[in-house]
Formats: sequence, C-alpha cells, structure tokens
Amino acid sequence: MNETQAPSARAKAARPLSDRWYSYLLVAPSLVVILFFALIPLFYAVYVAFHAADLTAGTFIGGFVGLDNFRDMLNNDLFWDAIGRTLTIAVAAVCAEMILGTALAFLVNQLRWFRGPIRALFLLPLAAAPAAVSMIWRYMYDNEFGVYNALTAGVGLPVVNWLGGARTAPLAIILFDIWQWTPFVMLIVLAGLQALPKEPFEAAELDGARFWMVLRRLTFPMLAPVMSLVFVLRAIDTFRLYDPVATMTMGGPGTATETVSYYVYRVGLKYFRMDQASAMSLLVLFAIVVFTGLALRPLMRYHAERAKRG
Amino acid sequence: MRTKPPITARDLVLLVLAIAVLIVFMFPIYWMITTSFKSSGDILVNPPRWTFRPTWQNYVYAFEVANFGGYIRNTLIVALISTTIVLVVGTLAAYSFARYNVGGGNIMFFILTTRMMPAVAVVFPFFLIFKTVGSTGVGQFLQLGLDRLGTLAVCYTVFNLPFAIWLLHSFFQDIPAELEDSARMDGYSRWQALWRIVFPLAAPGIAVTAIFCLLFSWNEYLFAFVLTRDLATTITLGVAAFWTQRGVDWGPLSAAATICVVPMVAFALLLQRYIVRGLTFGAVRG
Repeated sequence: MNETQAPSARAKAARPLSDRWYSYLLVAPSLVVILFFALIPLFYAVYVAFHAADLTAGTFIGGFVGLDNFRDMLNNDLFWDAIGRTLTIAVAAVCAEMILGTALAFLVNQLRWFRGPIRALFLLPLAAAPAAVSMIWRYMYDNEFGVYNALTAGVGLPVVNWLGGARTAPLAIILFDIWQWTPFVMLIVLAGLQALPKEPFEAAELDGARFWMVLRRLTFPMLAPVMSLVFVLRAIDTFRLYDPVATMTMGGPGTATETVSYYVYRVGLKYFRMDQASAMSLLVLFAIVVFTGLALRPLMRYHAERAKRG
Repeated sequence: MRTKPPITARDLVLLVLAIAVLIVFMFPIYWMITTSFKSSGDILVNPPRWTFRPTWQNYVYAFEVANFGGYIRNTLIVALISTTIVLVVGTLAAYSFARYNVGGGNIMFFILTTRMMPAVAVVFPFFLIFKTVGSTGVGQFLQLGLDRLGTLAVCYTVFNLPFAIWLLHSFFQDIPAELEDSARMDGYSRWQALWRIVFPLAAPGIAVTAIFCLLFSWNEYLFAFVLTRDLATTITLGVAAFWTQRGVDWGPLSAAATICVVPMVAFALLLQRYIVRGLTFGAVRG
C-alpha cells in the first residue's frame, strides 16, 4: 500500500473489515472452485498412479504398487514415441504458423483498402470447433471423393491418400492446425504492428535506412514480446493437441498420428489402465507446468507491466 | 495532416494477394456449408461437384433423425450454467486481483497454470470421481455423475474460470482507481463503489468474457467425449457421431457441423475488437 495513505488507512481501522480481508474475501470463491476442482483431481491422479488400477481386472483401485507405474511408463516405448511424434508435429505446425502468420500480418497491415473486412474474415477458422471442422476436413482429404485431391489432380499432381498414409497423415494434421491457427498468429502480430510508435520509423526513413535494415533493427525487436507470447501460447496448445487427432485419424494409420494426449486417452479409456494413464498424465502435466513457469510467466508479467505503463 | 499518396500498382497487387490467401483460408468453411445443402448424389461423386441443386434434406435429417436439437439444448444448458458461475465468482476475484494485487501475482499465475493443464491429465480423475459421486444420492440430485449435464457444467466452470479471471483482470486494470476513490469520498462504501461505479464501467469486458466462455464451452470436445455417453451428449460430439462403424453420412454431418460452427463465427465477429485480448488472456490489448 501507498505510504502516504497510511494514516487514513489506520483511521479506518475501526471498520468491520480491513482492505486486506476484503480483498481475500473477494478472491475466496474462485480459489475454492479452482483448488477444489483442480487440486483434488491432481491428488487423486497422484494416488491412482501409485496404485494398481486396471479396470479390466475387475478391481477399481487395487493395492499400493510404489513407483511401478512410473517405471513402466519410463520403459514404455509407445509413450516416448508419442512424445516424439507430438513434438515433431508441434514444431512443424508452430514454425509454419509463425512464419505464415507474421507474413500475413505484414501483408494485411500494408493494405490500402478492405483491411477491416479482411481481418474480420480471418477470424472464422479460429471460432470453428476443431472437432466439428476436422470432420469436414476428413471429407475434403478423402482419397475418393475429397476436394483436395480433385484440386491437386487439376494441376496434374498425383492423387494422395492423405489420411491413409503413415507419412501423409501427420502432414494432414499439421496442415489442419496451420489452417486453424495461422489467423491467431496473424491477428496478434497485426495488433503488435498497429501498436508500434511512428517516430522511430519516420526517423529511419529520413536517414534513408534500407527496408531490411528497418525490419531487422526496428520492427522485429519491437515485435519480439508479442511474437514470443504467441509462440509460447501456440507451443503449449499444440503439445496438448487432441481434437483433430481424435476426429480425423484416431491416431492412425497405425500410430502415425498418435499424439501424447491421444495415447494417454487410449491407455486410460480403451485399455482401462487408469494407473498407467495417471502416471503419464502427471509427467505431461509436470512438463507443461515447468514450461509455463519458465516461458509464459515472464512474458505475461512483461505484458502486464507494459499495459500498466499505458 | 499528410495527403494520401496516389494509388499505385503495389496497392492492387497486395490486395489481390491478400484476397487469394483469404480464399484459401475460407475454403473449408465454404465447402462445409455447400456440402450441407447437397443431396448424397452430389456428395459421393468424383470429381466433386461445384454446382448442384440445393436441398434442406440434411438439416431435416440432423434435427428429426439425429436429435440434433437435443444436443444443442444440452450444450446451451451446460454453457449457460458454467458461464454464469464463472462470471459471478470470477468477476469478484479479478477485481480484487486488479485493485488489491492479492498474492502479488503469484496466485494469478497459479490460476493461469491450472488453465494450461492438458485436459487429458485431469479428465481421468474427473472420470473416476464422477463415477463415484454419481452413485450417491446427492450426486444424482445435483445431476453429477457420468453422462450427466451437471458434470460437464462443473468441468467447464473449472476450465473457463482461470481464463475469465485473467481476461477480466485486464479490463479492471483499465478502469482508473481514482474513480472509485472519489466515489468513496462521496460516502459510498467499498461494496457500493464496486457495484455502482466499477461494474457498470466493466460491463463491456464482462460481456466479452461471457461470450468467450460460451464459445469455449460450445466448442469443447474432450471432456464431453470422455464423460458423456448418451443423455448429456453435446454438439461437437453430435457432429462426430455421424461417423459410425457403418460409414459416414457426409450430408447430415456437414449440416450438423454448419449448425455447430456458424453461431460461433457470428460471436467471433461480434468479439472482433477484443479477440486478440481474449486469446492472449488479456496480455495484448489489441
């Protein structure tokens, strides 16, 4: 609290509730909800991960097994394959989205006409439910009736069985993600571009600075905070990728598109090994919490302070 | 005031380029909507048909045979209940974080971390917990348990609350504390100043947050997929349900997907000014 306000604050001490308690009281309901419904499942997952919980064996939660589930997880090649696959898909998708989205933001920013309507239309993929539109993509990818093959055949390319091939199916998932999330990068970089101060650029123009020089020395350094934030948010999101995998490929063909989220789901609710699934989800959770703390936290703090300065 | 530079060829080239990219991005939506008006004879053909005689059949099928109206009802109930709870508790917390800086940012960040948890990490504990709760009398009374709407409402509340607190926090920060202080000088109590001065000013932000919460609940898939079977099926599941063991009916599926996507697109256009702020949890003001 502010030093100069101290006397008046003390004068009001006779009030039934101090500011401190009042502020806690306002936060309390939310914290109760979050602690109750986020931490209880978490502790429950920890509990299950240390016990045998094979639903097919008839017992709901069996005996204490110590670290067995974690040991099995570390030795489980399928799990590590799924992590590797997820990282590959995430890196490819996020890099493409960053490059395309940034280029698109520069393009839209330079437009002389229709900037508003074009920006608005790019919102559409973002608002669409991934589980619903990916079903449509499944039809569009179809190797018999799909429109993508018809379009590529029109320019003389061979027909591709997009979702049927172990090499093309991950690409199909990546392309879908790019379609849905490039507009996200574009909108945020565009917002960053429009918030840039005019003066340094006018000075650079007067000094006769080259276009690339301005881009490298002025534009990108000034956009860096916004672009890092988009990158981190996208990285967290793609690492959790589930919806399009579940609806478009179901992890297939074989395990070609099985992401961590999908694999953990399959272990838990297809093989009913809740103990294994809990151990794996704890590891994934841990990875995300660490990454969030190291990467997202400083960025959110930076932006909050910048907003406060106005 | 600078005079506008003359129109150059560059302006035209950029516009054409932007429209070309836009067409690529709009195409799946276009294809979804046109397929929803095609009869099956126009859908299962190679090469695909670009012109066709439109029909309402698929929509009739979606509502009359596939019970899509019921899915929409379920989704709306769940979304409205969870959004209401989120707004009531979230607004108070966000205000307190913005004005009193409770926890010095640490609690806020803990809240954000819960939002980043992969859904798959919490869905199994939820599954097991609600399986147990559903067999008790209280659970049945509150509609909690597997395949119950109350369960989904709880999940979406937990899922949306951290988001709402962050977004609302950014709106409360934009309201100068001086306004409240002067109301206090005029004899308002803390609570009165909050209700009569701060909340009315924050109304647009609260509305924006509400629409985002509705949108996220409407589009959610994983929780609904794991925790419901039949009675509490939501709209995204309803769309995916057209893919069956026997094959897939693309026409009704496209109609269902269109019904699922179009209202949210309308919402997104409504949110236009705030979409950047919402998607970055309030960090980038846009």
